[in-house]
Amino acid sequence: MIRVQKNRFSMFGVKRVLLFAVLIQCAFFTNAGSRDQAKRIHDRIAGVQASDAVIDSMAAAIDGENPGAAAFTAMDNAAFYNVTLKNMVTPWTNEEQTAFAPLNDYTATVIGIVRDDLDFRLILSGDLLYIGSSGPGIPAYNNSNNEHYAALEAQNVSLKDNLVGSSPQSSITGLPAEATAGVLTSRAAAQAFFKDGTNRAMFRFTLLNHLCTDLEGVRDTSRPADRIRQDVSRSPGGNSSIFLNSCIGCHTGMDPMAQSFAYYQYEYDEENDTDGVFGRLAYNREGDVDPETGSRVQAKYHINSNSFKYGYITPNDRWDNYWREGQNQSLGWDEGLPGGGSGAKSMGQELAHSDAFSQCQVRKVFRTVCLREPLSAQDNTQLGLMTTAFKTSNYKLKQVFADSAVYCMGE
Amino acid sequence: MNRMNDMIYKSSPFLIGISSLLNQLRRQVHLKRIVHQPLLIGAFIALMLGGCDGHSGSGAENQIFDDTSSGVARDRDGPQLSGPAARSDDVQAFRVNLWNELAADDRCGDCHGAGGQTPRFVSLVDINTSYDAALTVVNLLSPGESRLVAKIAGGHSCWESSDSFCAGEIQRYISNWAAESRPETFSTEIQLIAPPDKSVSSSKNFPEAPGAFEGTVYPILTEYCSACHSDSAPVPQTPYFASSDVNTAYEAVQSRMDLETPSNSRLVVRLRDEFHNCWSDCSLNAAEMNAAIQLFSDGVETTEVDPNLVVSKAVTLLDGVATTKGVRHTANAIAIYEFTTGSGVTAFDTSGVAPAMHLNLSGDVQWLGSAGIRINNGKAQATTSSSKKLADSIVATGEYSLEAWVTPANVVQEDARILSYSGGVSARNFSLGQTLYNYDFLNRSSTTNGNGDPALSTDDDEEILQATLQHVIVTYDPNNGRRIFVNGDLVDAVDSVLGGTINEWNDTFAFVIGNEVSSDRLWQGSFRYVAVHNRVLSETQIRQNFEAGVGELYSLLFDVSEYVGVEQAYIVFEVSQFDGDSYLFANPYFFSLETTDSVDALIPAEGFVMKGMRIGINGREAVVGQTFTHLDFTVQRSNYNLETGASMIAQYVPGVSDNEEFGAVIALEQGAEVDEFFLTFEQIGDRENVFVEASPSVPGLSFQESEQPRIGIRTFEEINHTMSEMTGVAVTESGVAETYEQVRQQLPSAESIDGFLSSHQMAITQMAIQYCDALVEDTSLRAGYFSGFNFGVNPDQAFNTAGTDIVVDAFIENMLGTNITVQPTRDEIIGVLVDGGVAVGGESFDGLIDTLNVCPSDCDTERTETIVKASCAAVLGSAVMLIQ
Repeated sequence: MIRVQKNRFSMFGVKRVLLFAVLIQCAFFTNAGSRDQAKRIHDRIAGVQASDAVIDSMAAAIDGENPGAAAFTAMDNAAFYNVTLKNMVTPWTNEEQTAFAPLNDYTATVIGIVRDDLDFRLILSGDLLYIGSSGPGIPAYNNSNNEHYAALEAQNVSLKDNLVGSSPQSSITGLPAEATAGVLTSRAAAQAFFKDGTNRAMFRFTLLNHLCTDLEGVRDTSRPADRIRQDVSRSPGGNSSIFLNSCIGCHTGMDPMAQSFAYYQYEYDEENDTDGVFGRLAYNREGDVDPETGSRVQAKYHINSNSFKYGYITPNDRWDNYWREGQNQSLGWDEGLPGGGSGAKSMGQELAHSDAFSQCQVRKVFRTVCLREPLSAQDNTQLGLMTTAFKTSNYKLKQVFADSAVYCMGE
Repeated sequence: MNRMNDMIYKSSPFLIGISSLLNQLRRQVHLKRIVHQPLLIGAFIALMLGGCDGHSGSGAENQIFDDTSSGVARDRDGPQLSGPAARSDDVQAFRVNLWNELAADDRCGDCHGAGGQTPRFVSLVDINTSYDAALTVVNLLSPGESRLVAKIAGGHSCWESSDSFCAGEIQRYISNWAAESRPETFSTEIQLIAPPDKSVSSSKNFPEAPGAFEGTVYPILTEYCSACHSDSAPVPQTPYFASSDVNTAYEAVQSRMDLETPSNSRLVVRLRDEFHNCWSDCSLNAAEMNAAIQLFSDGVETTEVDPNLVVSKAVTLLDGVATTKGVRHTANAIAIYEFTTGSGVTAFDTSGVAPAMHLNLSGDVQWLGSAGIRINNGKAQATTSSSKKLADSIVATGEYSLEAWVTPANVVQEDARILSYSGGVSARNFSLGQTLYNYDFLNRSSTTNGNGDPALSTDDDEEILQATLQHVIVTYDPNNGRRIFVNGDLVDAVDSVLGGTINEWNDTFAFVIGNEVSSDRLWQGSFRYVAVHNRVLSETQIRQNFEAGVGELYSLLFDVSEYVGVEQAYIVFEVSQFDGDSYLFANPYFFSLETTDSVDALIPAEGFVMKGMRIGINGREAVVGQTFTHLDFTVQRSNYNLETGASMIAQYVPGVSDNEEFGAVIALEQGAEVDEFFLTFEQIGDRENVFVEASPSVPGLSFQESEQPRIGIRTFEEINHTMSEMTGVAVTESGVAETYEQVRQQLPSAESIDGFLSSHQMAITQMAIQYCDALVEDTSLRAGYFSGFNFGVNPDQAFNTAGTDIVVDAFIENMLGTNITVQPTRDEIIGVLVDGGVAVGGESFDGLIDTLNVCPSDCDTERTETIVKASCAAVLGSAVMLIQ
């Protein structure tokens, strides 16, 4: 329902304004000059209107055959962080993949890493967490709520100027440093993907958001099935062909990777706080023993054990990447990494060091800036070039924004 | 060792032998032990101590009655015997266990009695001569090999409609006789015996080059499947067997084609049975695909198994040794269904408790290859007369248990009857049903109504019922009321109804499974086993029955002697048909049949290694489901036990696995009687074969070959912040913030201009009006924004030429930007706001300012502000702001 707020316009007046608004039309973007291109770059990067002075500066850079500089000028606008990056990242932080979610520690950390030109791959493994600088009405970071970030958003605090990432995540949250894994161990990610379930959601959505493929895209039935947990029925509905032709294709690769999250849980009051708004990330440290599993492994890893008692019983957080062999070699794994390890940090690094991760970041930025998917071989060639540039820039995401904006500025 | 002196069980004939054997094993009261099941020894000791005689368990222990040497009650009157008494205990055992079962006229008595045909083993006048005659047709050392069994199995005068059922029953009677009369020789100890020495048979393998494929199957795939199963599809879906690159397609398609039996190919099954994206008629499409694969297969030479593979000897299920994982407690079972006949319209009650309460299958009910039935759209129902035994037996005890191994087809069916003893949807003695993820248990008693309501149901949140094989037992007794056990565990569901008496049970009802007797409460799913007990099973007995599992289980011995330097060396797997589509290979261990008293004499001092084990079927390694590929195990003297061998699970992947049981599900190909299995190794002993993964083709980057707009629209937060930039009003201004909060989710959420809706424009206009209102109401802000404009006069004075220029130029400067060609020109803005013009549709319009500068009497100064706000909002809410 639409309501007019205190502005003394009747609905008739609103409709009349609307009628005249639609009479004002823009021209097609043909034979665009440098000022038009500057406007487009600014619109796409910052999301907002540029002042004439900024357009002047950017147009001069374009005329000087340095359009990349114009793009970096657009990135000086705070809206690049408060609007463009925030809305690009926010859907990654919830299962609904909606941008209409509050600012949170996941989003803020990605924004901070971009702002500070850090190696973007650290988002999945670093001992990093960005918080807002203190200020009136801004509560401190809290492991059990999101009020700190909600206040930053409500006050429209410039994230460009007020995000602080100098303290390690471990010192802010109390999580052991070796258990931190960038945004994977953020509170927002935990609430979205460690809450209830089997922790497979964390892996699936990380794949979806950071390798740009859902499990369907990496399904490989030929991988060994030895790490598929007991909770996966091998004969769903009494038909094992469903398992052998469908389920197994995802679980063979996913389960040995998602084992890296075996010590994590999102704890909340199931009776009075069903959405987990006041919940917190929990982690079983060395010496902790879950009463259900008798080990550090969370009970959720052993649920429904009678679905297939010959399935895998998770004993620890050892992970292995079975996709280094078979068709998913094409994801481009880092030969310098061992392809296995313990815990979320090294598994996050495994994902972030893949070619698919870099390609995915480039593709997402391309989509954000060019407002479309790649359409042609030429576009794909450009994606390849930008991926290479992303790598050679030591994985600075701003470079990708600049390259994308320049590529699309003349369309 | 002296194992060969013990009884040896062999599965022969296949269809009756194993199920009957398992029956007898489960009913034995003299069970000693099972060897060569290294991980079960402890469990079996527990069973022994816990009462595998069927009399154990708390609570019910003192209530068991009607126990006989066969472990079941047969409460019909036996044939009347005259003549001399039994001359020995063995004759008496013969009488109780075999003669009593067969002497009636409706079985064998009509022909093989006194004066009848020979052998006269069911004479009513002399039990001793009957005994002598029976000895000529039974084999007490190996009941399955008795002539009597073979005769019936061959079609001789079965009293039921299934020869295999009758043969199985007779084998069970003979086994019971043998167990009672010769306990010293009749052991249930499972003995492993060497299977026939068979090498892996030849088979058809895929040619290296895709040429033949390209000319046969590939054209169909590219024509009909490439919209999805191609790496260049708009939304690519693996497998890419319709890729434009034939090599990629050929690589992907191999696991979807069965060269031995093309009709079993996944490509065919998907069309024929699963109706997956048929391009016209599914059966015709499947036939076309089948023909193409057949053509391809015909061109493929039959080849020997890959000579590079290090392979074991081959076996089939028929070469296996029947075994069991435990003894099921059936001492008080009054109806049992094991669904082993595999065909026909009758599921036999094998409890041995008369009257036999066989189930008549009606509607769409399918037999499973793994022993069971699947209810698709039908039911299996007993007659009311035979069902009466339930009421008779259960009312007498006042308690009962229902037991079933079931696989619900889904978790969306509601008010569906799994088991029911009822007269319709509203009258019953008991029912077990399904509602979504819940089991529902209704029992009619003195504390419920005639329908057994209210039901006892499992908790919604627990989601106890899953669409997978589950063992469910529900019990009722007056003290504890109703209880539900799933997979051996008591479900935490409190019965709201106190226990009562069940004397009011109606004995004219019928027992039915998979539906209501009125056929209007269909339950879709599979049954592997059903039993009705006229006693409450104790929690120990329930756990025991769960641990016993369901289905026929074999020990398959894969000969690896040639590689390891050990005589008669085998990898032993527990193998069962998992369901109609697959086998379960579980719990492998290494074992030698060589007779020796010393491990040192058997296992080389240095031991030997086994790595990378895979299961082969019909000449090829199974592509899907391999579970032992990471095996890295060394058999050593220190981990080998002469009785139990060396478990390969404990050291499956050192430090990684907590499993005590571990298994692989491998697809069934040509049927349980035909499929031939073998093992391959990356290393065993000194032999190695490095497993080489096929190098996958790297799919090209995909893109959508379609036109997309090169421009887009700002999204919700971009709109908010852009309006703030264009007006100078902060996004935190109270009116703006409130409006934004209310319309935020009505603003565009995606940049695609194709997705722009009128509702979006309405929300944008709301935001524009709010921003412009805030701008004009803020006298300081407006003074700077509209510098020189006089808000203190009426519109006629305010919007003179100079005033109008101030307003228009303020919009151009702050909203359009200077010299931006894609933005409207100043004249175009003037046209809309002042001069009017002709819209795209050809309709003329007046300028907005003039349109609003019309009042009933002269407009006042407030109208001036209103016109500025409206003009501001018209520009701010237009494409000037929205398009990016």
